[in-house]
Amino acid sequence: MRGKKALSVDEKMETVKIKIDKQAHITVKADLCKACTDRPCLYICTAENYQWDEKKDALIFNYEGCLECGACRIICSKDAIDWSYPIGGYGVKYRFG
Amino acid sequence: MDKVTCIVVGAGPSGTACAYALAQKGIETVLLERGRTPGEKNVSSFVLYTSVLKHLIPDFRQDLPVERNVVRMDTIYMGDNDTKALQSYNYRYVDNPIAFTAFRRRYDAWFAQKAIKAGVQLISGMKVTDLIIDAGRVVGVKVGEEELYADVVVGADGYHSIVGEKSGLIHAWSPDRCLLAVKEVLNLPSQVINERFQLTDGIGCEQGINTYNLNELNYFSATLYTNTDSVSLAVFARLDELQRKKIKLHEQLEVLKRHPYIDNLIKDATLREYEAHLLPDGGRVKPKNLYGNGVLLCGEAGGITDTIAGMGIPNCMLSGMMAAKTIEDAISKKDFSKRTMKNYLKYLDTTKLIAMVHESRRASDQFAGKALENESDHMAAAADIYNQYWESSVEYIEKKNYPLWAELFLRLGQYHVPGLLFWPVAVLIKIAGLPAVWVEMVKRKTRSRYYAWKKSLVG
Repeated sequence: MRGKKALSVDEKMETVKIKIDKQAHITVKADLCKACTDRPCLYICTAENYQWDEKKDALIFNYEGCLECGACRIICSKDAIDWSYPIGGYGVKYRFG
Repeated sequence: MDKVTCIVVGAGPSGTACAYALAQKGIETVLLERGRTPGEKNVSSFVLYTSVLKHLIPDFRQDLPVERNVVRMDTIYMGDNDTKALQSYNYRYVDNPIAFTAFRRRYDAWFAQKAIKAGVQLISGMKVTDLIIDAGRVVGVKVGEEELYADVVVGADGYHSIVGEKSGLIHAWSPDRCLLAVKEVLNLPSQVINERFQLTDGIGCEQGINTYNLNELNYFSATLYTNTDSVSLAVFARLDELQRKKIKLHEQLEVLKRHPYIDNLIKDATLREYEAHLLPDGGRVKPKNLYGNGVLLCGEAGGITDTIAGMGIPNCMLSGMMAAKTIEDAISKKDFSKRTMKNYLKYLDTTKLIAMVHESRRASDQFAGKALENESDHMAAAADIYNQYWESSVEYIEKKNYPLWAELFLRLGQYHVPGLLFWPVAVLIKIAGLPAVWVEMVKRKTRSRYYAWKKSLVG
């Protein structure tokens, strides 16, 4: 795709069908993130759901756009991310896979 | 209180294979799936080999939701500026297919339907939240508030196995035992695919891509395969390496897409779907943790995938079938404790699955560790040598103004020089009556000296 601009992750996420649950399946212990130095969740998430807010000095995350790979849960060295699959029937719905 | 003989958690390939095999023997089985239909949570990034499926469903070819029959499997070595390809076309597979490309959404749903026909009770849209454990033995599962009891629970619920974690069989996760995969399904008209990949309708190809110098990752591989009117492109990397080097895998996918080789194949394609998956990388669970009192782990939950050979689904299905055999034994003995469940290892050994997984683990560590750095250097060096030869031969044709004596020498004289230098010496040796071996020795010496000199001259 030379010459053409590559899609951003947000644009790519528009192709994924997700049924959003009201209850979040990800919770983060904010105080642990402040002490964290390398913050691997910021670059490991394939949907870029984790962002660092410099102004508030806090981790902001968005559970709605989760692809359910669960890499954040494995990678978090502080055990600050509590990740589980969304409840039955909710979450990502791949049309192809 | 509802009680069945067996609960299988997860309607992926391993869970469905296990439930199917149990139902065939007339064992009451409930299959739980957290998606609304089986397959909607699943992603695969290889072709589907039918080596195991044909044992479960011999007439699968009648209605299997196939995209293309894979006849060509290529291996590509890809550097930042060059590509070497081994094209492997097996014409035997046209009539006797062994591998297909298919979408998991359709494939898993089809497989689950087969299981339902065999007598499995499928309950989808149900996520198991906890296990019911009584005196150290798993006796059932909890789905929210509801409870369901069984003699044996099979955990086939993927990498983040709730059955494995709640039963204590899996107690830690480590980034060095899993691969992260990102995949894109790209729209491309069927006709264009046929032209670019040199295929015909219904015939597909899979390309395994090994990279060097493309990025900083030691373990970075990709697959590209053709569906009916789309292609799938997936990249893989070890999680520990991504963490160590702070690399975004989805950005590396874009790097790969900009490579001229890939770019030529997927030019003008539009994105159909973006997908991600985490898969265990060869034996994340120790064999002794694959079974417990009233519980078995199979498929990705037990880490039974061979990521090096790209054998995920067949391995998982086979482990599900072996779990079913173990449960049959347990039912006939009426004993669901660890002692009978241990037969699972025996059955896995008969299929060589454990050895295969172990081998995959070893290879993966080698790839991610120092060994691949060498391997990568090796590949790059080989490519360099090849490129040099190629470029120098081009130069020789196109070039160039040598002085007249060099021109004459290169065109006419160069092949005769060793002989010309050598024959007077040979005559002298003969006359002096020295041993005949000396003749041979001097011949070789002259030649090697001459070629060394010539090399230094031509550069």
